[in-house]
Amino acid sequence: MTSATVTNYSQGELDLLAVIEMVIARAPRVLKNGLPNLAFFRTANQALAQPDNEHEGGAFAQIEFWLAIARQAGLLAEADGTLAPGPRADAFFALPADQRRETLRSAWFDARDLNEFAITPELELPSLRKGRTVDVVSDIPGADTLAAARRTLAAMAQGLGDEMSLGAFIRRAKSEHPSLFVNHDDDKSWRNVYYRGIRQAGARQDCERDGNWENVEGTVIALVCELPLSRLGFIDYDGRTRTLRPASSDTAPPAFEIVVQPNFEVMALGDRPDAGTLWKLARFTTPQPEGRVRRYRLERAPFSAALGRGMAAPELVGLLESLSRTPLPQNVQFSLRDWGAASERIRIWPDALFIEAEGVEDLSRLLGDRVAALGLETVDGGHRVCASPDAATLRAALPPRRAALDYSRRLPPVITPGEGASLRAPREELHFRARQLLELVSRSRGTDIYELHEATVRASAAALGPAELLQRVRDGLARPLSPSVALAMRTWSGEFKPPIADQCELLFAESPEQAELLEELPELRGWIERKLGAGAYLLKVGGAERAREALKRLGLDARKRK
Amino acid sequence: MKFHLHVGVIRCEDAATLEQALAAAECTSRVLARPAPNVAVLEQADANRLVEALNERGLHPKVMR
Repeated sequence: MTSATVTNYSQGELDLLAVIEMVIARAPRVLKNGLPNLAFFRTANQALAQPDNEHEGGAFAQIEFWLAIARQAGLLAEADGTLAPGPRADAFFALPADQRRETLRSAWFDARDLNEFAITPELELPSLRKGRTVDVVSDIPGADTLAAARRTLAAMAQGLGDEMSLGAFIRRAKSEHPSLFVNHDDDKSWRNVYYRGIRQAGARQDCERDGNWENVEGTVIALVCELPLSRLGFIDYDGRTRTLRPASSDTAPPAFEIVVQPNFEVMALGDRPDAGTLWKLARFTTPQPEGRVRRYRLERAPFSAALGRGMAAPELVGLLESLSRTPLPQNVQFSLRDWGAASERIRIWPDALFIEAEGVEDLSRLLGDRVAALGLETVDGGHRVCASPDAATLRAALPPRRAALDYSRRLPPVITPGEGASLRAPREELHFRARQLLELVSRSRGTDIYELHEATVRASAAALGPAELLQRVRDGLARPLSPSVALAMRTWSGEFKPPIADQCELLFAESPEQAELLEELPELRGWIERKLGAGAYLLKVGGAERAREALKRLGLDARKRK
Repeated sequence: MKFHLHVGVIRCEDAATLEQALAAAECTSRVLARPAPNVAVLEQADANRLVEALNERGLHPKVMR
């Protein structure tokens, strides 16, 4: 059975999918107003079954609507300033179609970021600020009023007995719910002459309330019929004849197939594609939703990302094979297998829970069944790893009296300077950061005892730089190093040159004036290694003899120490 | 047994691949621990840098989130 409801709702869901696919393909940045930029709206609009006409005064009502619904339902979310598929997207598209529809309806009812007045092309709202917040002196309904009005209109739509014209529906809404969006109880008051902050498109002043209900609330109701009520399957709406009919049920199964081409392009063909299956395709390909035909490009990056989300390469290949009438091209099969194998060669958990087996511990016995929910994987050395769980899951999984070392915070310093160049670090308290520091500066000298090691410090300072190494030492020790050990560390690290302890050649002046004159002598200047203080100079080797000769030429005999 | 939370972990097919991967992201000197020859533990920021660096080189590791 084919009905308008099927077409409208299914098409609505496919429009939603197209918007999400565009988000995957473009990863748009989110501007201050919480929305992507105009370029995104334009390209996403072209991916819709019936795009809005930007030049007919309509902004991009459908895109704004689907973005708001998708965010409300958790299908899209902001991550690091860009829009991306949200945490609930996979679970949503795995639901049966009727449950998906109910989810979208709930999202519309509760959508606080959506204001139907703002996306109605016939209206202008100068008092609506950019962030979609309503000015206190305007009559633009707020989120709670809109939520109640949506439920009222949905109930009216579901109560339709027979076909009804849009005009009749609006008139019925006016007679039954005159204050649906704006309170009209006191329209005779001089304060309520106008719809404050609401104008007709192109008008220079706010609409008068008298005689304009159809032009204000009526146009919003028309938009609600055309978009949410129709696209979320409450009614069948025929935009050409502007008539509403009760929604009919949909029982026809999805019907479509894919064509996988040797150039790695996948085309989805058919009148009734299934949004859930298309979503699976979109999750391991790069969607190309711009054109009329749905296309997906097989690429290594999204394929690997899908594997990281827990999908298996054979599972993905199997999906393609099940949807394609013909066998996959050989080069595509080979590449997919290769990408899967290559991706398995390097696995990264960017935010992980790592359970370390110490010594010969048998973690499977120690952990028991408590940690099954974590989805731990065994890595070499008998350790276990999984993506960091949320706090509640972790608490339930941890054995009694066990705490996790949380590396998103500063961990307590557990290394204490001991006698001489030794360091004490109790094994049971050692975390990775402390162990890393010990490896950078010391060698193990016995249980819990380490000793600062010159060659290790020199090598680490060369790799990290003395400043970075010393900063790590300062941060990692429970107490400062003793002056003697600090001197050794800072010298080994290259921060200091070793001090000079030798028989030195010196030049002393008797007064600052004499020092100034001596410094002016070019024969002397070249032999001064360092100025030690006012009138005191360390000379280079052989410098004392040269200085005496230079002074002799001036008829001066330099004094010697007795 | 110790529980280390919010660390980055990389596991490669072999030690040589691990060395190459770490070198590609210039993370070698910042490794927190090498619990096995082909496993390294890093700070989260370094692990994210590692993912980016490997993706830029077309290696596309399997990223477990």
